[in-house]
Amino acid sequence: MRLVICHLYPDLMNIYGDRGNVIALAKRCAWRGIDVAIKNLGLGDRISPGAYDIFFMGGGQDREQIMVSHDLCETKGESIKREIEEGACALVICGGYQLFGKFYRPAEGKEIPGIGVFDGYTIAGKKRFIGNVVIESCLEGRRTTIVGFENHSGRTYLGKKERPLGKTILGYGNNGEDKTEGAIYLGAVGTYLHGSLLPKNPALADFLIRKALKRKYPGQQIAELDDEIEYLAHEHAIKRAKRTH
Amino acid sequence: MKIRTKMWLMGGKIIGSIVRLAGAGGGTTFPGKVVRSLHPRFVPEVLSGLELGCVLVTGTNGKTTTAALVADILKTANIPLVHNRTGANLMSGIASALIKQSLVDLEKYTKLGLFEVDEAVLPEAIDETDPRIVLINNLFRDQLDRYGELDTLAGKMKASVEKLSPESTLILNADDPLVSSIGAHLKCKVIYFGINTDAYSLKGIEHAADSKHCSLCGTRLEYGYHIFGHLGNYRCPKCGAERPDPDVFAESVRLKGFDGSNCSIRTPAGNMELWIPLPGLYNVYNVLGAIAVSLTLGIEPEAIADSIEQFKAAFGRVEKIQIDGRKLVMILAKNPAGFNEVIRALSNIEGGLNIIFALNDNIADGRDVSWIWDVDFENLKGKISRVICSGIRAWDMALRIKYADTEAPFLWIEPHVGRAMERLIESVEKDGTVYVVPTYTAMLDARRILSKKGYVSPYWEE
Ligand SMILES: [Zn+2]
Repeated sequence: MRLVICHLYPDLMNIYGDRGNVIALAKRCAWRGIDVAIKNLGLGDRISPGAYDIFFMGGGQDREQIMVSHDLCETKGESIKREIEEGACALVICGGYQLFGKFYRPAEGKEIPGIGVFDGYTIAGKKRFIGNVVIESCLEGRRTTIVGFENHSGRTYLGKKERPLGKTILGYGNNGEDKTEGAIYLGAVGTYLHGSLLPKNPALADFLIRKALKRKYPGQQIAELDDEIEYLAHEHAIKRAKRTH
Repeated sequence: MKIRTKMWLMGGKIIGSIVRLAGAGGGTTFPGKVVRSLHPRFVPEVLSGLELGCVLVTGTNGKTTTAALVADILKTANIPLVHNRTGANLMSGIASALIKQSLVDLEKYTKLGLFEVDEAVLPEAIDETDPRIVLINNLFRDQLDRYGELDTLAGKMKASVEKLSPESTLILNADDPLVSSIGAHLKCKVIYFGINTDAYSLKGIEHAADSKHCSLCGTRLEYGYHIFGHLGNYRCPKCGAERPDPDVFAESVRLKGFDGSNCSIRTPAGNMELWIPLPGLYNVYNVLGAIAVSLTLGIEPEAIADSIEQFKAAFGRVEKIQIDGRKLVMILAKNPAGFNEVIRALSNIEGGLNIIFALNDNIADGRDVSWIWDVDFENLKGKISRVICSGIRAWDMALRIKYADTEAPFLWIEPHVGRAMERLIESVEKDGTVYVVPTYTAMLDARRILSKKGYVSPYWEE
């Protein structure tokens, strides 16, 4: 078995240790004997149909985000949407999440268009939302907590029918108002929980791997891993979130 | 000094003694906080009488070490100074240093103010101290939850150094593209320093690299060689922006593990063959910065070289401690770039390593621990005998080590850093060495425990 991870704009959108998520996907596949290839796609590169199983994009600084917005809309957006409709999965974080929505409206300057995988939009806010986050989510019918760290000034508002990734228990989430965090559409997951999200949320990592396999190798099961350290880190991160709020 | 300011200086000293008597910690920044809130012009008025003015040292990595190097050089040259030695690098820390170290007739006994300042505080510090020299060493991703984005930070720094007068000097690291871009089109003098050898150049850019794009046009920079992180010999293929030729530079560097390095240094005032008693290339930058500051203040190269060769690191940066016949080496690592340098030095040591990585997430460490995923622990593959992950976020650290596939035969988790040290020391043979790599507050914890047992002095200064 072989999966191909497409890391979108790794040198433009790489703030806050996003690399940890790619490492987690690659290792969790490797430990199960699934071959993994990681392809880095930058400005101008095109997406050939069926070439990638998991798309990943992290966050970036303002200037980089504008460059990426142009490139996404011109060369990759339509292909990514088509791939997701056909069963590819995606994890997009912070700036990447915002660009997978309809648009980002900064405090000053022009609206930055997104590609609209998610029915939602983002407006710049004044105060930065910073801190540990715990959300309650449901992945393929299984309830799970997801824990991470947020650091964003954008407020994201989802359309009425769009499903959030989870309900915010601790932290601000999408906008600090409606208790939603992130968005999930088919196999595409968007979230403000950045950095080392997947290593200590193995349920989310395996959700993405399972979705990706389902498209390419229908009916294929994946082996359980020894996730003792992962769950210890998960539990302690929740404890720490409670203490810092 | 105005009478009113003198009275605040006395008042601050009294507050400081009360705080210390009450046993409320060292009271390092509290007196300064109180005095500044009641007398906002306190710092500028105290400093206005200094014969040689002020020097500000900033940058993500190495500001404490660089300022300590300059302080040593100035002391050897008999220039009396005030210096915020304890790493209290916000304005309240500067005010507190003034209160603690100065007599009421400050200008009679003190000639110069030397202040290490936090990157985000530089604009305020420039306004209040009217410095004659500002040194910016580097800008790395560090505690982004506090600073926001690097570009924004550099923009604010640029706006603040535009206010420096033509008599002032700005000293910049030529090898850091974001820092060197601050030097364009200024009224003040600008001096650059850098490392001109590719002897230790990295093959690819490390994952911690932050500023890989031209700060003028956003194009990806091309590198002739990398020193570490985003530091190196760079050029923008589109607009032609490139590394400025440094005025003070290391022509050759020979690293000697955790002991130090031998360097040939070129300066406009003459050359130096120098033994630097501090490890790693990052300390070569600290020394180059300190040399540039000292030369600007008119100190002779021979005197500078003598002081540097005698230098002892500020505590905890690298500290070697004897415990029951074993050697404990403690090396502070507070962000990806610094951590990668520590890993580079560790990976050059022969024999299986015994290491504690202690990760805290207090405010002074940065609340967000995801930065450890930008550290290249993968480079320790096959080099570790035993590793203990410790600190408040011991489990996150353990995950990072697990996913780095280091093949360490023993991976333990012990959040209490004291117990972690005990366990590791017991498990190594006599004459063995254990390495402790803590973040900032984990280092303070480790040191407090070691000083209770009498292994190290509890004090910051010697
Ligand atoms: Zn350029």
